[in-house]
Amino acid sequence: MKKNVTLGLAALLATTGLVHAEGVVNLYNWGNYTSPELLEKFEAETGIKVNVTDYDSNDTALARVRQGGHGFDIVVPSNSYMQTWISEGLVIPLDKSIVTNIGNIAPEWVDVDFDPGREYSVPWQWGTTGVIVNTSVFSGDINDAGIIFNPPDELKGKINVIPEMSDVMAIAIYYAGGESCTTDMDVMRKVRDTLVSAKAHWKALDYGTVDAHAAGDFSAGIYWNGASMRARLQNEDLAYGYPVTGYPIWMDSAVVLADAQNTENAMKFINFILEPENAAMISNFARYANGVTGSEEFMDEVMRTAPEIVAAPELMAAGKFSPACSQEVNDLQSQIWTEVLQ
Amino acid sequence: MASREFNVRTLPGFGAVAIFTLVMLYLPIVILVVFSFNEAQSQSSWGGFSLKWYVAAFNNSQVIDVSVRSLWLALVAAGISTVLATLAALATTRVGRFPGQTMIYALINQPLMVPEIVTGIALLIFVAFLKVQTGYAGMGYMVAAHTAFCIPFAYLPIRARLETMDLTLERAAADLYATPVQAFTYVTLPLLVPGIVAGFMLGFVVSLDTVVITEFVKSAGQDTLPTYMLGQLRRSVTPEMNAIATLFLALSLVVVSLFFLITRKRG
Repeated sequence: MKKNVTLGLAALLATTGLVHAEGVVNLYNWGNYTSPELLEKFEAETGIKVNVTDYDSNDTALARVRQGGHGFDIVVPSNSYMQTWISEGLVIPLDKSIVTNIGNIAPEWVDVDFDPGREYSVPWQWGTTGVIVNTSVFSGDINDAGIIFNPPDELKGKINVIPEMSDVMAIAIYYAGGESCTTDMDVMRKVRDTLVSAKAHWKALDYGTVDAHAAGDFSAGIYWNGASMRARLQNEDLAYGYPVTGYPIWMDSAVVLADAQNTENAMKFINFILEPENAAMISNFARYANGVTGSEEFMDEVMRTAPEIVAAPELMAAGKFSPACSQEVNDLQSQIWTEVLQ
Repeated sequence: MASREFNVRTLPGFGAVAIFTLVMLYLPIVILVVFSFNEAQSQSSWGGFSLKWYVAAFNNSQVIDVSVRSLWLALVAAGISTVLATLAALATTRVGRFPGQTMIYALINQPLMVPEIVTGIALLIFVAFLKVQTGYAGMGYMVAAHTAFCIPFAYLPIRARLETMDLTLERAAADLYATPVQAFTYVTLPLLVPGIVAGFMLGFVVSLDTVVITEFVKSAGQDTLPTYMLGQLRRSVTPEMNAIATLFLALSLVVVSLFFLITRKRG
């Protein structure tokens, strides 16, 4: 009997065991963010199979990897979390003897504050949070956060704001003349008053409103550039504005984990996604820009010319990376956010 | 006389409340199914009938991959937990009262009381330690975690069936010189089948939609359907998700219908 149990257990392990084959790399990435064609191409070129596993938040990914024993090789954290990954020693510096395409990173994305000089990470995708406006309803300047925070009469009651505290707070703080993660109470009081009085004119705080914007249920909102582009492709009256007072930029970057078991394959994959053609495959799938020089020519026509991705330099200059704020600042922002949501 | 009895159906607003409740229960599912046949990539406006999202789901190798894994895991976990739960139910009902019986009952049902997130975090820490120590990171952990979680769901209907069973039948078998094993095989077990089937199916369904525990225990390449669907949410959800959900709904309807037929025959 005991023998049977042991045999059964051994059979179970054998059929379900993860084989540590040479030709594997385990990518831990945001859901629906990895182009299947990209993986096929990598496997065809190198013989290395890519296993993709999904996460849905930076916190989940961080918690799993901190605990160890996860079996992942590559992870793709957002800019605001990158310093945590690096300072806790969870990731290793890039092996420049394998990652020879490092020079393909577009110059403006090399000396980023979350990883100066790109010692650890390479760009995966980046985007912005701005305003989406239906130009058939509102004909004024769209590069203005005032559309949302002090809406004109024609937009009152037709605004949707994504319920992302850090994005909305950042735009509101810049609008009030403050800096990211500010502790200046005068600025924060102004932010609170602006948001509370603006909220009266908002119709909703929802995710996933591409269809609703396209159908005209909303006439303006705070939204991500990629989602705005999808809405505009359904309704050409929609336009994406970059608030000149300042707006958040985010970037998710790929890093290799310190306890990776396929480090060399992981470095090869990192090098692979820095090829312009391959970076473009990610963009064509996920619909965001990638930060690799020369990838534009491989991107779908609709993305190459998209005003949601390609903007005038003076508008691009208003974008700022949101650093990770201290706990004290997070608490303050949460308090204001809770008051706004009531 | 009948009018003096308390009858919930005569309470004011009974019909309205009942209809409202049924609508709230089933309308979202009906909408989900309807929009799985939508030609347009929209969850709000109808663009004509189409099966293209079903085609898309069947052509998406990742969807097939996670669906097969979910079904496999649910079958294995429900199977093992039903066997264990049947043994546990027999051991807690077909014996005299013994000290600690209530305690054991509480222990078996513990996963029902402990919030799933607590179990998830505990398993994360424990399983991560085992993975580091043993170097083994296969599906064994997922099977073990899901099985443990499914046991109380399988246990409750089996125990309920045992408790309502007519004990005189077992006694009659013993009077007719059946050995305990024969009495169990020819009397108790056949009568117990509806409970076992119910337990298995409860376990199967619970394993199929467990998100939190899977999220914390899964290793590389071990996404199940629920964790895969969760990963889609922050980006745009297409009717492909509706199509997959509809297929699983159809599957569960088939399972429930089979269960109904089996239990009806056994009476």
